[in-house]
Amino acid sequence: MLSIENLRVVYHEVISVLNGISLKVIDGEVLVIIGANGAGKTTLLRSISGMIKMFDGDILDGDIKMDGQSIKGLDSTDIMQRYRITYVMEDRPIFQYLTIEENLRVAAYSRWDSRVKEDMEEIYGYFPVLRTLRQKKAGYTSGGEQQMLAIGMSLMTKPRMLLLDEPSLGLAPLITEELFRIIGKLNQAGITIILVEQNAVAALGIATRGYVVENGRVVLEGTAQALLENKDVREFYLGSGEKERKSYKDAKRYKRRKRWL
Amino acid sequence: MVDLIQTLGSGILVGLVYALLGLCVVIIFKASEAFNFAIGEFLMIGSFLFYAIFFNGTLPWHRVLPLGILVFLFIALVLWLDRRIRWLVTAVLGLAGGAIVFALLFFGLKLPTFLPSPMIRFLVALPLALAAAGFVGVMVERLTIKPLLGRSPISMTIVTLGLGFFLRACVQLIWGSGSYSFFLHLPDITLEAGDFLFLSDPIWAGILSLISFALIILFLFRTRWGLAIRAVSEDQAKAMAFGIDARFILMIIWAISSICITVAGIMISNFGALSATSGIVGLRAMPVVLIGGMDSIGGALVGGIIIGLCEALAGTYIEPLGLIGFKDVAPYLVMLIVLFIRPYGLFGTVRIERV
Repeated sequence: MLSIENLRVVYHEVISVLNGISLKVIDGEVLVIIGANGAGKTTLLRSISGMIKMFDGDILDGDIKMDGQSIKGLDSTDIMQRYRITYVMEDRPIFQYLTIEENLRVAAYSRWDSRVKEDMEEIYGYFPVLRTLRQKKAGYTSGGEQQMLAIGMSLMTKPRMLLLDEPSLGLAPLITEELFRIIGKLNQAGITIILVEQNAVAALGIATRGYVVENGRVVLEGTAQALLENKDVREFYLGSGEKERKSYKDAKRYKRRKRWL
Repeated sequence: MVDLIQTLGSGILVGLVYALLGLCVVIIFKASEAFNFAIGEFLMIGSFLFYAIFFNGTLPWHRVLPLGILVFLFIALVLWLDRRIRWLVTAVLGLAGGAIVFALLFFGLKLPTFLPSPMIRFLVALPLALAAAGFVGVMVERLTIKPLLGRSPISMTIVTLGLGFFLRACVQLIWGSGSYSFFLHLPDITLEAGDFLFLSDPIWAGILSLISFALIILFLFRTRWGLAIRAVSEDQAKAMAFGIDARFILMIIWAISSICITVAGIMISNFGALSATSGIVGLRAMPVVLIGGMDSIGGALVGGIIIGLCEALAGTYIEPLGLIGFKDVAPYLVMLIVLFIRPYGLFGTVRIERV
């Protein structure tokens, strides 16, 4: 189990992004984190994966524990190799000048076992289109294929936990649907998934639980079903609130509540 | 006609050495987007290390002692800051490093006594010098470049400028400002056919540079580390997200770069002498990479050959007209013309930015 306790993170020593966020991730679940732009979702994933320093960020306070052991301040390579937590960055984290096959091979860099080829075949099984394109440079493939490659690359690291940052960004609805189906399949294969998504409907559709994050704090948590049914969440994140427009006073009250929670 | 072919041949041979120098700049630029302005100083240090091993170039104790102390401080600082090893271990390892360097330069390896044959001595001294040069590259990267990972490439470039001044001062302090005779006496492979004559030393320089170039290409495109280097070159953050230790990869890149600069330095020094000002040749890498493209490996080869040809043609056809010294200006002139037409060089990646 992964637990985050009162985490405070700043960028460039002054820009405070996470302001004491706390949450828990249970093994084997799909946890969705939703929130507006700038709420701190990506920063949270960067902090868990040990990538925060790479972006000139610092963890000021709080702790991140994996199975009771603190992983705060560890290097991203240590976190990946020792705890098998893989972070799939937003905006298709692939290497454009490498071929699809080279991308998959380089993702297995931290492994020294001899099963790399077999795992590559398994990924081609999940994403058959990658097999046909394997000698093509990744930069010349479509957005959907690149996202599939990104997830395939993360699987090459043999993760126990996947941190997916907006995997549906810029993808057509049909491809997004296929992508979420595969994410669900990966979870069934035993991989715990933390999913940060703007497309909250699709994400909550495959999730076990979810957190709503605003201003670097958790303002709401619950099962995916409970969040889907929550009036405020429907209004502000799912875009499917009541037909009548809310008054300015109501919206302001909700925003104030978000700030104080 | 004979003159022209002779000039072109010589230009290509020297151009291959420049291409190797250019490659050393390109691989560092690809990995960190920083330009290594200390290339000339690395060239000097590598060449002096080879000189010390191959010619048994010993020095008096008052010159070697500062170097021993410097090596001790470098090793101790790197181990202490980078690995957080206990101070006693750092001190012992640092002392060992300093003592080895002191012994090497004060007593010498006495290779000329044990191995009188220049070729065998060359084959023994070259790997030793390259290993030492690689070690220098690693030390410098750990102390000056690694702490800047994730920061702006400009800061790394500025650090290499300062590093250049520091290393040059160190070389002058230790080896002084005099010239050292540097003839390797490698087997004579002078090519003489009809009116054509290609001297042995430039041919050796061309062959060794080409071999080094090919080995780097093989390393980059056929090995696991090479693949990781190419990934880090594209995006350090993405590479780290997939468990590639970008810091370690950067260290390897600096070591390889330092090794190749040393090969080029040895070949260039073999044309004449070695001194604390030999590093100026390293600046030839600048027109090479700007013509070929800052991030293009193939471009470094083409750029190197263009600069070599340019120098040779200017030396044969323009300098006799009275423009003495034009040979040194011509490469920069060609560079300016190419940059006017193609600002990213002949094979450089054009960056498209949305505005």
